[in-house]
Amino acid sequence: MSVLRPFRATDMFKFNNVNLDVWTETYGISFYLSYLSRWPDLCCVQQAPSGRMMGYILGKAEGSGAEWHGHVTALTVAPEYRRLSLARKMMDLLEFVSDEIYRGFFVDLYVRCANYVAIDMYEKLGYSVYRRVREYYGSLGVGKGGRDEEDAFGPDMRKPLSRDPGRRSVRPNGRDIIVSAHDVP
Amino acid sequence: MSSFAALERQLRPIYDSLDTGSNKSAVVACNKLLKKHPGNELVKALKALALVRLQKVEESLVLCDEVLASKPTDDAVLTAMMHVLRGLGRNIDTVTMFEEAFKQQPSNEELGAQTFFANVRAGHWKSAQQIATRMHKQFHEDRYLYWSVISTVLQANDTTTPSSMKNLLYKLAHRLITSGKAPSYVHTDRFHLHLSILRELELYDEARVLLDHDVGKSICAANLACDELRRDITKLQNRQKQEGEFAESKIVEKGDRNWLEFLSFLDAVFILDTEPDQSSEAFKTACLDRMEHARQVLEKVSEKDGKKDRSGPLALLELEKRARSCDIKQDDERLLTLLKSYFEQFGDKACCYEDLQPYVVLDGDDLSSWTSFLESVPSSITTTNELQRRINVHKLLRCNLTASQLTLEAETTRASLYFTEYLQTLPLGANLPNTELQPADDLAILAGCAYVNLWTISKEEKYLYIAASLLEYGLLKSNASFLMRLMLVRIYRLLGAPTLALEHYRAIQTKQVQHDTLSHFILSRASTFSLAATGDLTFATECLETSQIYLSNSQETADFVVRAFTGEKYSQIPEFITFEDHLDNSLQRDIIKMEHVRMRFTHEVVNSDIMDLELIELKFIFDRNHHDNRDFQILPDYQPRIIPNFNDQTMLFGRGEGHGWLMTLLRMYIRALQQSSDLDDTVEEKLLIGDRPKLAADSGNKAPLRDRLRERPQEDLAELTPDEVALLDFTTGLADWLGCHHDYIRPPPSVVLAEAAKQSELKTGHPLKGVEILPTPPNGSPNGHHKKDEEAPAITEPPEIVVNFFNTMKARFDEAQQSSVVDALHVATLIQEAFIFLVIETLRFKSASVIKIYKLNSLVQSFKAIKTNAVEILKDISVSLGKQSDRESTAEARKVFTESCSPIVTPEVTHEFVLNVAKKVGDARKKVLEGVGKGMTRVCSNHSQ
Repeated sequence: MSVLRPFRATDMFKFNNVNLDVWTETYGISFYLSYLSRWPDLCCVQQAPSGRMMGYILGKAEGSGAEWHGHVTALTVAPEYRRLSLARKMMDLLEFVSDEIYRGFFVDLYVRCANYVAIDMYEKLGYSVYRRVREYYGSLGVGKGGRDEEDAFGPDMRKPLSRDPGRRSVRPNGRDIIVSAHDVP
Repeated sequence: MSSFAALERQLRPIYDSLDTGSNKSAVVACNKLLKKHPGNELVKALKALALVRLQKVEESLVLCDEVLASKPTDDAVLTAMMHVLRGLGRNIDTVTMFEEAFKQQPSNEELGAQTFFANVRAGHWKSAQQIATRMHKQFHEDRYLYWSVISTVLQANDTTTPSSMKNLLYKLAHRLITSGKAPSYVHTDRFHLHLSILRELELYDEARVLLDHDVGKSICAANLACDELRRDITKLQNRQKQEGEFAESKIVEKGDRNWLEFLSFLDAVFILDTEPDQSSEAFKTACLDRMEHARQVLEKVSEKDGKKDRSGPLALLELEKRARSCDIKQDDERLLTLLKSYFEQFGDKACCYEDLQPYVVLDGDDLSSWTSFLESVPSSITTTNELQRRINVHKLLRCNLTASQLTLEAETTRASLYFTEYLQTLPLGANLPNTELQPADDLAILAGCAYVNLWTISKEEKYLYIAASLLEYGLLKSNASFLMRLMLVRIYRLLGAPTLALEHYRAIQTKQVQHDTLSHFILSRASTFSLAATGDLTFATECLETSQIYLSNSQETADFVVRAFTGEKYSQIPEFITFEDHLDNSLQRDIIKMEHVRMRFTHEVVNSDIMDLELIELKFIFDRNHHDNRDFQILPDYQPRIIPNFNDQTMLFGRGEGHGWLMTLLRMYIRALQQSSDLDDTVEEKLLIGDRPKLAADSGNKAPLRDRLRERPQEDLAELTPDEVALLDFTTGLADWLGCHHDYIRPPPSVVLAEAAKQSELKTGHPLKGVEILPTPPNGSPNGHHKKDEEAPAITEPPEIVVNFFNTMKARFDEAQQSSVVDALHVATLIQEAFIFLVIETLRFKSASVIKIYKLNSLVQSFKAIKTNAVEILKDISVSLGKQSDRESTAEARKVFTESCSPIVTPEVTHEFVLNVAKKVGDARKKVLEGVGKGMTRVCSNHSQ
């Protein structure tokens, strides 16, 4: 239960309760505006009836040929609104738009290895690991108790859309495939 | 050709230097090339760019004007010049440059687009529209038509456009958009633009045709922005009934759980369909039927969703609330039953309290029944779900507390209950990693709120000590809790421990745009705590760093407006422009600026350069239409509804500063600086480089600046503390007293300009553009003083308010010192500020020759006496601040602190822990008291010669 609406430039004035959470990064103005100026329909907000922002998703469409796909750049929910399936609803929207409007073959996203909760959630939503990217999160990936080896390998997770009925964009052994961050667009 | 290639090769290192910020070597390389190719415009433009970046504005201007005069059309030159002009703040000249170029090459489509974008960046919507129209005619591309349409819309919405023009411009936009060959719905954002024009013109039937078209329907189904417009238009068209049916089908058939659908569904229940008005019986009967239907639908939804979604149960509550407000009550118990069942079902969710807040505004029997229900919720806690439920019970009970329940005793009991339960339930989160928030956090926050409220009730500082210590303990357990940190920032400022507040503020790592929305936490009235006079520029630097975001905004945002044009994302363009405007004209931006000026004058020598500079900037600010983007909602608010919320309770000096405060301080400073400056409007107009701020359409009706500076609206003064009002009275008295002498002595504009031209020529070797130097007038004296023909104003005695200010305020200081550290600092820094005003206002009368020529001896005697007295008082205050600072970091002071905290000293929150907090608070207070005290003597010796 929440209002689902487009992410607007002025939401930058309102996202503090979401962004002050340690795991959510606040980027420069140009980061948000570059998404909004190209893929406004892949960026949306969940808002409480009181008007408070609960969370948001920012995405883009990229790739060429069979790699044309929707990408989730940021997905975040404020601490007090977790466990309400908000993330799922925002993912539903992003998948729907990637499928219907952009006609992408799949949707993909990167997670930190240490973020078991997130990986678990995406698996439930139908995502699977396509490959693991070395050093994707750089120094941000330092988990509890210093640098965790696993943290350096962020999985790239994918879910095929209706345009890929043969599920060519995913593979069962994705966890074993490790690529360097340079090889990822 | 080969020489061209050679030049090309030699240019590359210049670009490299510019890219890497080695501007000096870029200048050297340019000079070398200019020797061989003295007329090369590109090299000149690049040199101008490097010079701008080196802050060598005057030199850059000369080159810049040379290149502009040659009317360049070359792409590389134009691009370089665009950056130069942007650096000089001359967007209008960029527009002219591109327009000239496009005029010379009218078939160059790229140049046309660049000219269009230059107008977009400058916000010249009318010319932008004309260029786009021309481009559409010439290049036959549909998008140019849409560029002209949205430019027209933007012109209509611009503050510089008179409101009478708005409708006309929208009509023009409508005519343009319907003239296109392809229908707007071939493109989502064109469709969006079209709908927004129809909405503005109230052409709902026309909009209906678009919306009911198959393509229109499918666009709205997949695009939230278009769907938002659709919803809006439908409502404006009074089609609530149809919209309700549509929403119902989405909710029931498609499982849509967007709350907006539920609101539309509920709106349809309470519409006036065929009934005359809401009080009629017919309306009530019709509503009852519709309500019954709605209830059935929502109950089914609730049943189906169970715990998965809160929409159904919450919509049932909303239905009941609306029924009550229409006075249609079927069942008195219903609201309570729904509340209880909602709590049973979702009480273990953190958002339950927020969800129920609008529905628990109860009284009488309802309230007592609700309260006893909440009190009967079992208080044993073994799981995190039970803990969350318990927290919600506390919050819900607390928000409905009545005045009789808010006594010192009752609140004390409550505070310690929250705290005890906090300690009891902390172990539930013991296994979480330290980056996670603890599930018990809200109990500590509740306890913090209760102790702060106890402080508000009793005015006893000891309650703030407890609040600070327990929140510090909370952070020890839940390091990522930014809410606790923000509460601590407020509490430490109230305690006069600014460095601790700053530490916590920095720990939440505010970045980018958050500097605008959150910096009020630390920079509001920060000059109270500034040690700039002693050379410690911590807060002054914080002001400057925080203000970087405004620079990024003016450099970056317009680029994305241009990108949105290229990508045809018309729905975003007005949003980006609003964003840019809100940040550019941010209230917080100028509050920070004001605080910085106040700090600056305490540590820099007050001379005419600084005064002129600040005067110009402050005058710009004075005419802005401010937007308040500050985020106060971020603070937790668990105080009972009938008392002020936590934010209001913890404002420094009990008064939040806003637009009125800013305007008052601006009036004080601008008036003083203007009197002591030689810059009058004509001089400023000639000397100022760059564009002037755009004036709103209504600004023509405003009174002249001189008169506006004397205004003192009551609502503005309400944002000032009584001591700030005293400062205002002092500065007003001072300005009234000395104004006529300033006006008489100030040299005429021609002399000021001649002097400026002389200085500029000495610096750059070129005469100042646009300034004619007149020969020295016959009555001019060699040192630049010009006696006027009119008679000199009579010298009067200083007004009482000026003479008595320092003594009165000294008494206020003695009193404030007894009440609290911050009050003492507040009064002390205001007295110091008054002294600085005295310095600013009397600087002109300092030189012996002026005194002699204008026979100012008796005037000088008057203000010298006031100054001497002020210096003595400041020195006194400095000594007593010093003594106070010594008392702060003693064992005795710490003992008072730790003893105050005894209610929370437990095996967990140990005496050592509290002692450590006491020590930190003591040290921080010592530092600021000592620093402000020492700074005062510094200010006296710097300014008192």
